[in-house]
Amino acid sequence: MSVPGAPTAKEKKYDRQLRLWGAGGQEALETAHILLINATAAGSETLKNLVLPGIGRFTIIDHAVVTDEDLGTNFFLDDSSIGLSRAQKTCELLCELNPEVQGHFINDTIENILRSNPEKLKDFTTVVATGDIPTATLLSLDAILYPLGIPLFVVKCVGFTMSCRLALSEHPIVETHPASTVDLRLFNPFPELSTLVDEKAASMDDKEKMTTHEHDHLPYVLILLQALNEWKSTHGNQPPSSYPQKNEFKSLLRSKMWNADEENFEEAIAAVLPHFNPPSIPSETRAIFQDEKCANLTKESTKFWIIARAIKEFSEKNGGLLPLPGALPDMKAESKDYIRLQNIYKTKARADLAVVFGIVRGLLTGLGRDGGEVEESEVETFCKHAGYVKLIRGRSLNEEYEKSPRAQVISNDLSDSTSLIHYYLGLRAYEAFISDENNTQRIAPGAEDSTVDADTEKLNKHVTELLDKLSITHSPELLEGTEKAIGEIVRAGGGELHNIASLTGGVAAQEIIKIITRQYIPMDNTVLFDGISSRTFVYKL
Amino acid sequence: MATTTVLTTESPDRWKYLNNILTRRGPYSDETFEPGDEPKRFLADLKILVIGAGGLGCEILKNLALSGFRDIHVIDMDTIDISNLNRQFLFREADVGKSKAEVAAAFVMKRVRGVKITPFNCAIQDKDDEYYKQFKIVVCGLDSVEARRWINATLVNLVGEETLIPLIDGGTEGFKGQARVILPTISCCYECTLDMLTPRVAVPLCTLASIPRQPAHCIEWASVIQWPKEKGDLKIDMDDPEHVTWLYTKALARAKEFNIPGVTYAMTQGVIKNIIPAIASTNAIVAASCCNEALKIATTASPYLDNYMMYTGDESVYTFTFQHDKKEDCPVCGNLPQALTVDPESKLEQLMEKLQERPETTLKKPSLRTSSKSLYLQAPEQLEERTRPNLEKKLKELMEEGDELSISDPGMPFNLRFIISFSS
Repeated sequence: MSVPGAPTAKEKKYDRQLRLWGAGGQEALETAHILLINATAAGSETLKNLVLPGIGRFTIIDHAVVTDEDLGTNFFLDDSSIGLSRAQKTCELLCELNPEVQGHFINDTIENILRSNPEKLKDFTTVVATGDIPTATLLSLDAILYPLGIPLFVVKCVGFTMSCRLALSEHPIVETHPASTVDLRLFNPFPELSTLVDEKAASMDDKEKMTTHEHDHLPYVLILLQALNEWKSTHGNQPPSSYPQKNEFKSLLRSKMWNADEENFEEAIAAVLPHFNPPSIPSETRAIFQDEKCANLTKESTKFWIIARAIKEFSEKNGGLLPLPGALPDMKAESKDYIRLQNIYKTKARADLAVVFGIVRGLLTGLGRDGGEVEESEVETFCKHAGYVKLIRGRSLNEEYEKSPRAQVISNDLSDSTSLIHYYLGLRAYEAFISDENNTQRIAPGAEDSTVDADTEKLNKHVTELLDKLSITHSPELLEGTEKAIGEIVRAGGGELHNIASLTGGVAAQEIIKIITRQYIPMDNTVLFDGISSRTFVYKL
Repeated sequence: MATTTVLTTESPDRWKYLNNILTRRGPYSDETFEPGDEPKRFLADLKILVIGAGGLGCEILKNLALSGFRDIHVIDMDTIDISNLNRQFLFREADVGKSKAEVAAAFVMKRVRGVKITPFNCAIQDKDDEYYKQFKIVVCGLDSVEARRWINATLVNLVGEETLIPLIDGGTEGFKGQARVILPTISCCYECTLDMLTPRVAVPLCTLASIPRQPAHCIEWASVIQWPKEKGDLKIDMDDPEHVTWLYTKALARAKEFNIPGVTYAMTQGVIKNIIPAIASTNAIVAASCCNEALKIATTASPYLDNYMMYTGDESVYTFTFQHDKKEDCPVCGNLPQALTVDPESKLEQLMEKLQERPETTLKKPSLRTSSKSLYLQAPEQLEERTRPNLEKKLKELMEEGDELSISDPGMPFNLRFIISFSS
């Protein structure tokens, strides 16, 4: 079969995901290299969800030997794996999922890698740390990865509880996938649009000059613009702004209908509230324009900042308007009229793009860089999303733990016994427990029935120590929720439940995909899940 | 059947972590939960049914096997397609064309020792009440509204003195999904929440026929108008590349004629098959949530979801967990007729088109009756012929205000009932 446009074998296999992130997102995935530290159930499930959509490569670092307990939680191990390297066996069974993915394993501890070959970490696109890793190791990893801009996920999964912490430095997203990028420019039509209104809609009240068919096939955009002209002539050249005025405007539209079932007029009426807004630059975009990195471009500035700066300059010269995205929703109209209107928006969008692209080239040469470094398609994507771009500046683990802890975020939620912050505190206490220098074997709290009570006490103590360190006032009443969270954590005895591990792997993989493809918006920066009440919450810690 | 605890037949360490949860009480555990061997036995002996062995189904089977369930049935009538491989991780390229239920069951049994999975390569409608009665829990990973309505209504109908089978249902679309627990007749059922589905916006036929504006209009024209015209009674097979190519070529030519940009092969497939984007990670989240609820219900180790969790991952991570109310006039679990206002001047045919726009009446081949007469019957043929002229009649000639209109459909194990009132 050689039909032009028919999908390739790869496009067929990845069809359901290409509809989400396109060829560009797929290419980013295929060139990524993920490091998993410890092949826990949650870690292996995370990799499963990345191997399936065709991540380029993964590496597992793990020194453990497969035990029976692993087989009860990890699907990517089987009876024949017992006693062998966990890194190797999970790597093998994960590789079966997708022949296009390369899997590697290192049968060693992350501590050894950090000591002997920390340079190795530079190879990875994203690092996922799971299992019982002491705080000191996590902070060392963070200290290397964060300055390099390599995202680090710290995933904890104990019993019904999970947390996923993302240490992400600067992360701009252009393709945020908003529900719609339509900007009809109703309050500031460009000349070509006004000309079309005059030509097509000026006589929409005149039954002598327009047939019924023409009238009920007028595209609603033209109806709105024509009616706006009329409104403005009697309202000091101002469009309707208040809610009552908009309702009045809707009545005006209704009065212009020639019969009760003119769909195009109904569409026009329905479009008043969503589309009658004075032009403004959304706050996220404005923050990017005002960012110091936008103001002071350097030779090292990324393409994102150069295009952002160009669009900022464009809007300053264009009365505060962003480049036109150019999309037009479907509306009742004759085919040729709709296509003509669509082309007017598209042509304007292309003209705006040309101006922005010119500014980009100028900026690049001004910086002594190659003017062709940025492709037109990149500028086009940015122009289409200029009102929807997003910049995430995450926080490092070192900031959360040492340099600038966000005590307020924790104390705000403490009095709510149903808040998931209690699980955060419980998991921090868990981490402190396995990080204790006397606990060299990293035995988990509640590992044996006989230690449950004593370990519960220890975790409670770790929580109060943490709160004291953060100068958060606490009382037994405030810690009621925390005590219960600790109860659940100790109950699990450091074990993963497969369902929760699998859910964790799903959540982590979604976030990793969003970061690698630079599409959609990742969470910032800690998501907690409680499998008892089936709730999540995201904290910025 | 073995009633001993299978959980301990392997090395006692195998299920150590699961057993921690089952042998220890948690701070949120229900009072009726008795930690120890009891919940373990429960799990091992309980029969659980999985409907669907696709994206969610593969995950569900894996999760249940690793949650200590030992006696699992799975029903799926589909065969494996190449486009399943990006998420349905129990299948390989060599499996394309084989039964999903059979391949999935065999894979999980091979990987997880001690679990028994019985596959059925058939439609859920092929099984009768006696079959469904044997299960203690049903977990659904389906992509069809029709099948969900069917199993929901079936389980509601089965409710009796000794039978109440919880239905755990999951669904995904892109980065979003939901998991829910339905206790038939006790909490809100699938039918109660049908209005949460986005209504299908049908493109008017005249747009397709004479004023297309969007690439999708050209594709629908090719499949709805041009195919029957040129191919007669031959049914379109969405999975036949020749058929898809034919539609694509026709749509492309029409788009060219009207200067409409954007018709692609992928879009043609998307429009005619109503393809919903699907990825492994979202399936993992939703299936795990469903199975977590199954484990909690089966063992009472922790309280279960009451009754709905929505997960949204495309913008940060957001879940909305809430109790959806039962609908008093739910046609399945409430069984009161609903009000329906119709225009007495419109024709029966128009009423049937209107019904297609409402999620609860989007049916394949609906037949309509009032208490006194048959308005339109799809089968048998002679009755269809006899009632066909009614389609052209005005509603005021066929019914009166206050009449009860009953709608049946082969895809639905219950009748929808409406009390008619006329719009003025």
